Amino acid sequence: MSTPALSPRILGKPLNRVDGRLKVTGAAKYAAEFNPVGVLQAFALTSSIANGRIRKLDAGRAENAPGVRAVLTHQSRPKLDQPKARKNSGGGILNESRLPLSDDRIYYGGQYVALVVAETLAQARYAASLIEISYEKDAPLLTQKQAPGGGKKPKENNGEPVQLQKGDVEKAMEEAGLVIVERIYETPTETHNPMEPSATVAEWVAPDRLTVHDATQYVKGVQDELAQAFDLPLENVRVISPFVGGAFGCKGAVWPHVFLAAMAAKAVGAPVKFAISRHNMFSGIGHRTPTTQTIALAATREGKLRAIRHRTETLQSSVGEFVESCGARSTGVLYGSPAISVDETVFTVNVATPTFMRAPGECPGTYAVECAMDELAVELKMDPIALRLANYADEHPIKGVPWSTKHLREAYQLGAEKFGWVRRTPEPRSMKKDGLLVGWGMATATYPGYKMAAEVRIRLHKNGTALVQCAAHDIGTGAYTVLAQISAEAIGLAFEKVTFELGNSDLPFGPVAGGSNTTATVGSAIYAAADDLKTQLANLATADTRSPLHGVDIDKIELAEPARLGASDGSGKSDSLTELLQRAGREFVEGNGGFKPPTKEPDVAFQSFGAQFCEVMIDPDLPRVQVTRIVSVMDCGRVINAKTARSQILGGVVMGIGMAIEEETIYDPATGLPVNRNLAEYHLPVNADIIDIDVHFVGEPDYQFNPMGARGMGEIGITGTAAAIANAVFHATGKRVRDLPITLDKLI
Amino acid sequence: MNPFAYSRADDAPAAVAELASKPNGKLLGGGTNLLDLMKMGVETPGKIIDINRLPLAAIEELPEGKGVRIGGLARNSDVAEHALIVKSFPVLSEALLAGASPQLRNRATTGGNLLQRTRCYYFYDPAFPACNKRVPGSGCGALHGFNRIHAILGQSEQCIATHPSDMCVALAALEAVVRVRGPRGEREIAMADFHRLPGETPEIETTLSADELITAVDLPSHPFAARSHYLKVRDRASYAFALVSVAAALDLEPGGKIKTARIALGGVAHKPWRAMEAEEMLAGKSAGEEAFKAAATAALAGAKGYAHNTFKIELARRTIVRALTETAAKA
Repeated sequence: MSTPALSPRILGKPLNRVDGRLKVTGAAKYAAEFNPVGVLQAFALTSSIANGRIRKLDAGRAENAPGVRAVLTHQSRPKLDQPKARKNSGGGILNESRLPLSDDRIYYGGQYVALVVAETLAQARYAASLIEISYEKDAPLLTQKQAPGGGKKPKENNGEPVQLQKGDVEKAMEEAGLVIVERIYETPTETHNPMEPSATVAEWVAPDRLTVHDATQYVKGVQDELAQAFDLPLENVRVISPFVGGAFGCKGAVWPHVFLAAMAAKAVGAPVKFAISRHNMFSGIGHRTPTTQTIALAATREGKLRAIRHRTETLQSSVGEFVESCGARSTGVLYGSPAISVDETVFTVNVATPTFMRAPGECPGTYAVECAMDELAVELKMDPIALRLANYADEHPIKGVPWSTKHLREAYQLGAEKFGWVRRTPEPRSMKKDGLLVGWGMATATYPGYKMAAEVRIRLHKNGTALVQCAAHDIGTGAYTVLAQISAEAIGLAFEKVTFELGNSDLPFGPVAGGSNTTATVGSAIYAAADDLKTQLANLATADTRSPLHGVDIDKIELAEPARLGASDGSGKSDSLTELLQRAGREFVEGNGGFKPPTKEPDVAFQSFGAQFCEVMIDPDLPRVQVTRIVSVMDCGRVINAKTARSQILGGVVMGIGMAIEEETIYDPATGLPVNRNLAEYHLPVNADIIDIDVHFVGEPDYQFNPMGARGMGEIGITGTAAAIANAVFHATGKRVRDLPITLDKLI
Repeated sequence: MNPFAYSRADDAPAAVAELASKPNGKLLGGGTNLLDLMKMGVETPGKIIDINRLPLAAIEELPEGKGVRIGGLARNSDVAEHALIVKSFPVLSEALLAGASPQLRNRATTGGNLLQRTRCYYFYDPAFPACNKRVPGSGCGALHGFNRIHAILGQSEQCIATHPSDMCVALAALEAVVRVRGPRGEREIAMADFHRLPGETPEIETTLSADELITAVDLPSHPFAARSHYLKVRDRASYAFALVSVAAALDLEPGGKIKTARIALGGVAHKPWRAMEAEEMLAGKSAGEEAFKAAATAALAGAKGYAHNTFKIELARRTIVRALTETAAKA
């Protein structure tokens, strides 16, 4: 059967979200809204120390409190099998390897030490306050300096090298006449804080069959980890997650609350809902590690980079390893230089386990490098765009392979044009408006094109509608809509005729909604399944003696008209899909297909790039940074849905604004507890902080990457944003703040 | 949240009687702060007396032009938008609108706002062992902890928390009078005397007795009230507590000379902080940068910062100057 038309009918259209109405009417059900008959409520007691042991825990009063059905502690919890952490796609992800309530050890503040199950949440919460607990407390070790045993240098992160060496950086820096800029940049702990806190509703539907409604980015991963922990066949665990209220990475791994909910449901013999509190969101589901990054740039007077050195220090917990990969994921791809050195050190402290947070690595990495590039531009008295163009990487700086497509030049150009960059006067404090200092800054954005594995099933019904299924996820990204668009395009149906089903572990395999991979991966599998479907249809039609298409070459059959098959051999023959299936006595025809990323390293590099331009206005006396304008231009290959794509970039930029000027999780030095673990004191951008964000796309479809030509865009929007803002703040004030967030006390 | 009894009072005498009958009772107005604190286990009342049916939501002019009376149950939104307030006491309207979110302002009451408790992390989260305000004698976690949002004026070694309200800062500048009713009848408390400094007993935050109900707040018609203004400096454009805020009011002579000035600061002390010395310095001076800077310096003369909040001293000075400048420029 023939391949789809190269000029797409549906790809690229700014279609509304298919689940929009469900969401705005409240009909979309999120994990915590599922209420199996007899469901009980859970509330956790968490540790008030960050390092030590539980000396004594007495749950007697709690157990006797009204409505209480069980109190799980390290003394009373059911025994579980330790799942093996498997980091690569295909298995579940355990960032925190220790199962909850394993023993009396406390590794970080806010660690779960007991779970109360009661008839109502208020009862569970009150009973938790009745648990008597005392600790043997050791001083919390919270920073690199305090970390016992110094740092470790990981080799790999998800199979990618973390420490990079190209040429000899130290030697290159000795070259005469170079301008060297070496600076230290710091980013704080940031906590994802999606609107929907994590929640798990666990129900043992049979002694060996577990169903969980879970707020997750990876239903197959949760299925895998729970099956391992409870020693069940994979298919005995069902994980359902049709809607997720934001995640940003914190729902990718399986966190302790998921095990706790399932353990509790088993212990009490009834379904248990554990909707974790906003408090718990600051220690129970990961965060972005703080980073300390030392960047050294050595360039000729003309602005040609001769050496780049990028050293990073990050933190992890003693119950979970995590590598942020700041250098490899920013310096490792951004600029051409004969010598590049990337070094990453991880320290183990008494802080909860970090995890992926939107563009892990790229996000803090681009902040540091792109600020350093700005500082170098100032030093060289060069325009920041000109400096970047002088070091434009025409091939992957480390691997030395060409890019599949790269249109960063156009992104700089269009961004500069839309922003009005030509009107910028380079001198700091030289631009003013209405008594405010005006600053203009820019930075480069980047994120790789990732693909994982997926399988897709398409059922084309005789009424001409199709149901397409994959255990993928829509975490607020628009995946329901985008995957339906790709399906309609690939099958040859109208968009309205396609329903995409996801978020259920019963469906064919879907990857974690991480690494901005869903569109690329699942889209590739959709095309494979659509090919299979069309072969099935063509075989059916050409073999059917009553079909007008009987005997036509199967390669000449296409799904042309809605719900019709036609011959492309010029004969004008066609058949109705409904009649074809009717005659065959079938309700539907099924196509199956999958995608697996090639095991061999490709001879091109798939990487998206973009340019961020930012305007800030700052009152010189009361210097709170106000981000008044951002122009964001992205090259992500083909845009599948102009509307949801724009929203993805908007969301990334907004989160970047938060990172630049507001977000920071602060730990109390005495107890190790996060002090601002609520949304009143952990500042995220509010509507009033967001003024004007202008999103544009450049580039061309990346057909080497997949049949749609699309690279993901969930994460790239946050990259470069904080650097563009920090650079604009310098331009406005003449003050270079190198530790985020840039709050007004740092500018006063 | 601990188990508690709930009752609903229909009038003020009944509410007061009910409150007096139970030593561990709390009145429920909008509940925007109390319920939060109950969920956290910071407040553990044995009895909640719902006063939302009391007829105390009116905002009305006092006879003989003596000012305006705001009922204890008047919602923050209603006060902020009321024509009498917007016209004659703009600082109060501005302060209310600078606080919280529309949803919270729709619930929160005038009386409740007066009794808002501090946002100090160490107070709000019982996981922290040290807080003299929550557990007298346990120490102050903020003193050597993270204290960026803490006090620089009037604090003690026992407590460096700040009062979180915007409304109260405006009321302080306006020299409002709090009207309360208790078993011993009614009385008036001057705004300056309503909130306490922490001293040795930070757990005692106001001079209101545990058995008293706030029935109203009176705004006297001082000549400075109409030329008044609220300026709040915070970490984001909206929905954040003040790092520093200033309520300013000026009575100016036609030539620009200051007859009377009122300055109250928020975000810097355990109570809305009246800068009385600075006010006195401004009387008789020409409104302008020189006088405002001198007043700001005087207002912060006794300020003391800690590891993370020393910036507030300079920020407060600048905010005073800006607030006075903007107030003087008002038509």
